[in-house]
Amino acid sequence: MAATLCGRLVPRPGAGWLPLAHSVRHGSKAVTRHRKPMHILKQKLLAVTEYIPPKPSAPPEVFSPRTREAEQESGLVVFLKRDLEALFRDHKMIAVAQNNASNAEDTLILKQRLLRHDIRVKFFPVKVVRSFLENTPYRNMKPLFIGHTVLFVSKEPKAKEMLATLKGSPQMVLLGGCIENTLLSVQGIVDYSRLPSHATIQGQLVSGLTAMTSRTASMLQHHPSHLSALLQQYVKQQSAGAAAGVVAPQSTSVPEGAA
Amino acid sequence: MFSLIRSAFSGAGRTAGCSGAVFDRVKVVSAGLKTYDLPPDYGEVVLPERPKLKFLNKVPNFKKAKKEMKRLRDIQGPAKAANTFTRGQYGIVAQGGGFLHWGHMEMMRLSINRRLDPRTSFARWRINAPYKPITRKGLGQRMGGGKGAIDHYVTPVRCGRMIVEVGGQVEMGEVSDVLSEVAKKLPFPAKVVSRESLAAMYKEQEERKADNQNPWTFERVAKANMLGIRKVLSPFDLRNHGRYTGKFYNPYRV
Repeated sequence: MAATLCGRLVPRPGAGWLPLAHSVRHGSKAVTRHRKPMHILKQKLLAVTEYIPPKPSAPPEVFSPRTREAEQESGLVVFLKRDLEALFRDHKMIAVAQNNASNAEDTLILKQRLLRHDIRVKFFPVKVVRSFLENTPYRNMKPLFIGHTVLFVSKEPKAKEMLATLKGSPQMVLLGGCIENTLLSVQGIVDYSRLPSHATIQGQLVSGLTAMTSRTASMLQHHPSHLSALLQQYVKQQSAGAAAGVVAPQSTSVPEGAA
Repeated sequence: MFSLIRSAFSGAGRTAGCSGAVFDRVKVVSAGLKTYDLPPDYGEVVLPERPKLKFLNKVPNFKKAKKEMKRLRDIQGPAKAANTFTRGQYGIVAQGGGFLHWGHMEMMRLSINRRLDPRTSFARWRINAPYKPITRKGLGQRMGGGKGAIDHYVTPVRCGRMIVEVGGQVEMGEVSDVLSEVAKKLPFPAKVVSRESLAAMYKEQEERKADNQNPWTFERVAKANMLGIRKVLSPFDLRNHGRYTGKFYNPYRV
């Protein structure tokens, strides 16, 4: 049989290459009842042509934009916000301080000391405060509320007392505040505390105003000879300045200074 | 509403100073109706006259028994015939080639007929009675002296052929026990399938072939005779793409 196949395999001139006739094998048997040792090349071919499963496609939520559910405010948050609103409405001084790991004892002492001046210490969650400040005229205070913050509030602007008390507790770092509807930095609060009291300033103003009028009245009651003497002195000063060739500043010759 | 109740309870617990204790006692009882699955509809199932497996002859009724050659090709490769269901719903399908003896058939017949209820179900052979003669030389005989006498007859089975079909007013769970018990004892790997699972098996094979991510497939390499690989491949490999090795079947290859 092999001889006949080989005879057929002899290439005829001009017939071209016959792929099927080329790969006819001789002498192989259909051994099927046990596993035949495979040719190394066939083993390699089988290893190379293994099935490769497709990569699992991305889950559908990857393609849809992530939507955060609108959170409904809990009852506690609403309650706290109402509290905050009342606090901002009723109090003239609201100072914000950072709470640096102060323990319960420190806090208690500070609270007591501040309460002596009728300053209350309030604790609110930062998230609640920030969301409350969004929609109020106090929204510029928002950067103050980061991390653990404490509110010092009082109905009267008592910055001086507050600063004096805070000197004794280094755990509380003052960040800023809002006093009489004015947003103040720490330096601003310190400056504010150095200002004299309201009554004093009013007295000074009144006294200043009255002093000017009394001065004018007294000057009007002086003798005319005094006025002529003053004018003579002025003319003398002017002529002396011109002779020396020095341009005297005009502002030095104010008669009020001499009077 | 539950949150309301819960908040009310928690509030009460806090005021009483025993929160948690009250909370743990709250048990939400839900009531409902249980809906049962509809039983399967066996309206169109017609039981045949003889529902049991027929006895198969041990020896075919030939006038003159002729010795044959081994012809191992008839257990090699995939089955071309009788590889789908005809009448039944469940069956045993061969996952490799082999010869079935009369003893195997008796074992199948007796176990299936014993365990199946003939009033609600039936079973059918998908193989023929043994017809292929196997010759043996007698015991203690010297070698030579020509081919031995016919010893017994077998039925050659190729991979993918149905062996037995079972149908009737039964579900898979009722027949899978006996079928799998029988399938274990056959001389080749065999599987218990239903119509659906067999179709799913074929479909999965097709899908694997379609979504294979390996650009180098056996078919492509063999067809193009890359690096002269056809030197070590047989025409059988060209047809079956390395899925069959003699009577063995590798289901994981594509």
